[in-house]
Amino acid sequence: MYEEPYRWIEAVGNRRHYLDEQFTKGAPVVASAYADGILMLTASRGTPKLYEIYDRIALGGMGHPADLEKLRFSLLEMAHIEGFNRSPSDVTGARLMKYGLAPAIKQAFEEIYKAPFIVKILLAELGTRPERDLFLTINYDGTFEESRRWASLGATATVQAQMGRYLDSQPGFEQAPLKQAVETALCAWAVGSLAQAASSAAEGEETPGLAPADTTAGDASTLPGKDSLLAHVRQTVTEKSLECILLERNGPGSSKYRALGSDELGGLLPSGISTASPA
Amino acid sequence: MGMQGDFFQLLKEQGYQFGNPVAAAAGIEVPTATTILALKYRDGVLVAGDRRATAGNMVMYDRTDKVLEIDRHSVMAIAGVPATAYEMVRVLAHSFKYYRRTQLQELSFEGKLRAVSKLLKENVPAALAGTGAVVPVFAGYDHEQGAAKIYFYDILGAEFEAVEYAVSGSGSPTIRGILHYQNTWGPQPLASLPEEQATVQALRLLSSAAEFDSATGGVNRELNLYPVVKLITEAGVRVIADGDLKRLYEQDVLRAR
Repeated sequence: MYEEPYRWIEAVGNRRHYLDEQFTKGAPVVASAYADGILMLTASRGTPKLYEIYDRIALGGMGHPADLEKLRFSLLEMAHIEGFNRSPSDVTGARLMKYGLAPAIKQAFEEIYKAPFIVKILLAELGTRPERDLFLTINYDGTFEESRRWASLGATATVQAQMGRYLDSQPGFEQAPLKQAVETALCAWAVGSLAQAASSAAEGEETPGLAPADTTAGDASTLPGKDSLLAHVRQTVTEKSLECILLERNGPGSSKYRALGSDELGGLLPSGISTASPA
Repeated sequence: MGMQGDFFQLLKEQGYQFGNPVAAAAGIEVPTATTILALKYRDGVLVAGDRRATAGNMVMYDRTDKVLEIDRHSVMAIAGVPATAYEMVRVLAHSFKYYRRTQLQELSFEGKLRAVSKLLKENVPAALAGTGAVVPVFAGYDHEQGAAKIYFYDILGAEFEAVEYAVSGSGSPTIRGILHYQNTWGPQPLASLPEEQATVQALRLLSSAAEFDSATGGVNRELNLYPVVKLITEAGVRVIADGDLKRLYEQDVLRAR
């Protein structure tokens, strides 16, 4: 029944609707530059969402763990074969995205008889110099974007934009020391998490995809204050645990990726927030 | 399948071949010769190597690094054909990284040892053909047991654990005796030496090896060339800077005439 173009477009539309639904309960991911490299942060329940891909490349994901795992393995395979056959400097985030992830995700999305990948992925690449740091994000339909200084994953494009808007309202965050950068990233994460909660609460009344946040985007005064953002984080950590990884420009050896353990992360968090695993 | 985290298997699936036997063509001198040593000292393992690469009686290069870091906690010191040895190190480094990143845990120390033996075994045909013999010393910190360890190998891939020290390469017979003497009747056993004294020992040993083996490069003060000395402790691999080697050499190795 999908042979007719109209039916196909309709099927893809349904699929979009179905997929949008899958992310509403997911935790957003924030990645941003800081004084010594890049940090990435999210809150997760059980399965981790942040991973090491190669010497200078980290991955953050939203969506179904099995899909994420499958794509993570294909990226790892591609990166290591390339790094071995050519050289570690030839393994770049842009190539992994364009040739590794995008075609596979797009194909799965459009083959309407098969299951799509329920994922959104963020790749952060640490450059040799800060101006070479690069962030790449890809949506479940295979569209990808490049950005500098920060990137985010959220249930909708609006949520992602809100998080970025928060970061942009913090002047000089990309040169902030780690402790301050963690706090800023936490707040940006809370902006996303709150926006997501608001848009799924409003879904009953409004047209899906046109959540109330859409109408207010661009207006900086609507961002919640830092106190209420941190209060939201404090509440989140009672049921989820925070995950934070770094790509450290001056780290020892060739692998620049380092996951912060709960003790170290605990020391960096603003007061009142603990990393103790939820009861 | 990549799901097992075996990078070497993955390479093979991609058509990669390691250690193909190629009969040594008559008259071609394959670069070899070296002195490498590893010894346990108070805080971990010291691994050192001279920097000369030779082909027959020709010196090819005097700045070779034969003590290669595989990851933050293990190094392989190489004696034998550099082409094969460097390739082995590349395969190992990528294998350990790939395992850690796919499986989300470090490969165990035993696992790393197995990987070294496996590669040496794959290399047997090339080793026997005379174009690819490698006799490495592998040293690393075993976090499971909280101890630094040294292993040495023959060209066929047999693995031996060294209790106190291990040597390899053309200059090694000279210093093996010295190590035994020092360790048994010296002022104190090697395993109790602090870092600086262990480094001094390494410099003296490599200078002795260079004295009797033309294929081992010692210290060349005019060019400011010192052996490579690396220390492996619980904190990871650390390279001793040339400046420190120079200071120790002038202070404790040179004899005032």
